[in-house]
Amino acid sequence: MLDGLGMLLGGIAHFLTPLSLFNIAWATLLGIVIGALPGLTATMGVALLVTLTYKMAPDQAILCLMCIYSGAIYGGSRTAILLAIPGTPASAATTLDGHPLALQGKAGLAMGLATTSSALGTVIGIVALALIAPLLAEAALKFGTYEFFWLALFGVVISGQLTAMDDPLKGYIAGILGLMVAMVGMETLHAYQRFTFGIPGLGGGIDLIPAMVGAFGLAEILGVMKRTAHARIVSSGDRVIPKLSEILKYWKTTLRSGVIGTFVGIVPGVGEDVGAWASYAAAKRSSKEAHLFGKGSQEGLIAAETGNSAVVPGAMIPTLTLALPGSAAAAVLIAAMFIHGIRPGPLLMTESPEVLYQIVAVLLFSTLAILVFGLTLTRPLLTVLAVPRERLMAVVYVLCVVGSFAITQRMFDVYVMVGFGIVGFILREMKYPMAPLVLGIILGDLLDLNLRRGLLLTNGDPSPFFTRPISAVICLIIVFTILMSIPAVSKRVRALFTRGSAAPAQS
Amino acid sequence: MTTPAEPDLQGEGHSPAMIRADLLAAIFFIVLATAMLYGSWTMDRLEARRIHSFTVPGLVPGLLSAALLICGVVLAVRSLRLPAPGGWTDLGAAITSGAAGRAGIVLVLCLAYTLGLVGLLPFWLATGLFVFAFILVFETWLAEPRRSLLQSLPWAFGLAVATGAIVTLVFERAFLVRLP
Repeated sequence: MLDGLGMLLGGIAHFLTPLSLFNIAWATLLGIVIGALPGLTATMGVALLVTLTYKMAPDQAILCLMCIYSGAIYGGSRTAILLAIPGTPASAATTLDGHPLALQGKAGLAMGLATTSSALGTVIGIVALALIAPLLAEAALKFGTYEFFWLALFGVVISGQLTAMDDPLKGYIAGILGLMVAMVGMETLHAYQRFTFGIPGLGGGIDLIPAMVGAFGLAEILGVMKRTAHARIVSSGDRVIPKLSEILKYWKTTLRSGVIGTFVGIVPGVGEDVGAWASYAAAKRSSKEAHLFGKGSQEGLIAAETGNSAVVPGAMIPTLTLALPGSAAAAVLIAAMFIHGIRPGPLLMTESPEVLYQIVAVLLFSTLAILVFGLTLTRPLLTVLAVPRERLMAVVYVLCVVGSFAITQRMFDVYVMVGFGIVGFILREMKYPMAPLVLGIILGDLLDLNLRRGLLLTNGDPSPFFTRPISAVICLIIVFTILMSIPAVSKRVRALFTRGSAAPAQS
Repeated sequence: MTTPAEPDLQGEGHSPAMIRADLLAAIFFIVLATAMLYGSWTMDRLEARRIHSFTVPGLVPGLLSAALLICGVVLAVRSLRLPAPGGWTDLGAAITSGAAGRAGIVLVLCLAYTLGLVGLLPFWLATGLFVFAFILVFETWLAEPRRSLLQSLPWAFGLAVATGAIVTLVFERAFLVRLP
């Protein structure tokens, strides 16, 4: 415990340099602007900025990317409140109460509460990250090849289920497509090239960064530009900095939403939007003012913003300890970490424990920056919202091209970006979630290698995959998740419980 | 994440057009899965290297294609069983709608820039031309309401020059990236 505290203080001290503080300031501000601009998401921002941080020292590069991620999730709230358009999908729940508050002439209060809730949500997640990650990393040291196979499958299945609640089948299909993409190129067990069709560029497989830039960049540009609707900014001149009583009035909701958001973050591939919706739903269920939700409830706004921001540090828990991305943006961060020679996974706490505490410190600093920028830069951020998308999207596409080209300097990666952009756009239009697809690309190799390595170790006997305790538990969760997504099965299971609870009442 | 887990209030996920689109997608997935299953089955099993038969490179792609095949069949059956009155007409209308046209024009501009201009012209010039054309097309032709050419032209020109110059300078000078 004391070691951890010492390392946390070390992490904070490590970034108390002018260069680090400067990087924290511009990266967080850029993140807020990216989040505030409709059509630019946190994942797209982080993916595009990987290129700009390529030549930086590893700690400064990760610092910038984390600040952009954290800032963008917060920045989306500004657009949700003032324009009724979520700046990022994570802020969709914020729109429900944030915009009605703005219409009531309380835009300042809504922006202030969104800022303080985001900060508090991140702090709750940071505490969980500092406490849970070392324990999880230690437990993960006991994981073998069998457990990692199931974890990879679990990530894709649970992400498919939770990001497509209305239609898990589409979530599963997206996940399988992602895993299939990962099968292209050189496999790691026997160094055999699969599905390359003689194309040299496919030999090393499909890189995650161009694929992500396409799926979250070009696809988003196509999605934004196809719409003609224009929104009107609703603002008011009321006070932005909230009173302490206004922040603490719903402390239970803040705490609950922070815990829910953190938990959602820990679940692989389930991002900030689910964190916000889950927190919002839980707050509405337990609120004494449930009738106000959707009509400008401060509690609803607090729940949504605390929930989505807590996901950011929560998502870093599996990302750092298991190399399983907790969200789509965290998947890009994993790729960026590998580029900079940082290997997330169970050995991280053994090889370089300071990385975890440095990330905790970065999140603390970025939270402070969010508070300062969020509460002071109200007018400049209004100007950002007025940027016409016709002008913005042209520049964003140029950045997509440069961003996917710059890392390996191959035009092939630009073609990959365009291909993933088109496919991503079509899949989005047909309501297929992108998160399981991305998770599949990043986890495909882990799944493939560990399944075949496990079978090699046991000489073809699959029983350890089902009999080792942790493997068995994860396997059961996967089977249960898939079975429950079949309407006929879930209806029967629910009926069993309904009958069970109804019986005593009847007798 | 891209798809919020919000309740599908409009029922758009099961609209007649979407049901028909799902059927087309299911056919595509079935074809893709079958092709990949065939590719996995016929993939080199590296017998000459005497590897264990359970570690052949085609094992996992084969399992994945089988999983996609099952999902594709389930999607197809579901799409066929759900009632979708006027589904094909609605789907056709969606594909030929103004929104789809706008997305198509964005794609044409992006492809012309990426596959045509980049490599053919210096990067700064290609970028400038793309930004200029993009802004003009979407502000003076496809906008509702349209902006006048005089209003749009200075912005399009200014942004084109600025983007071409700044991106080229920042990446080539500051980040030492050789641009295409």
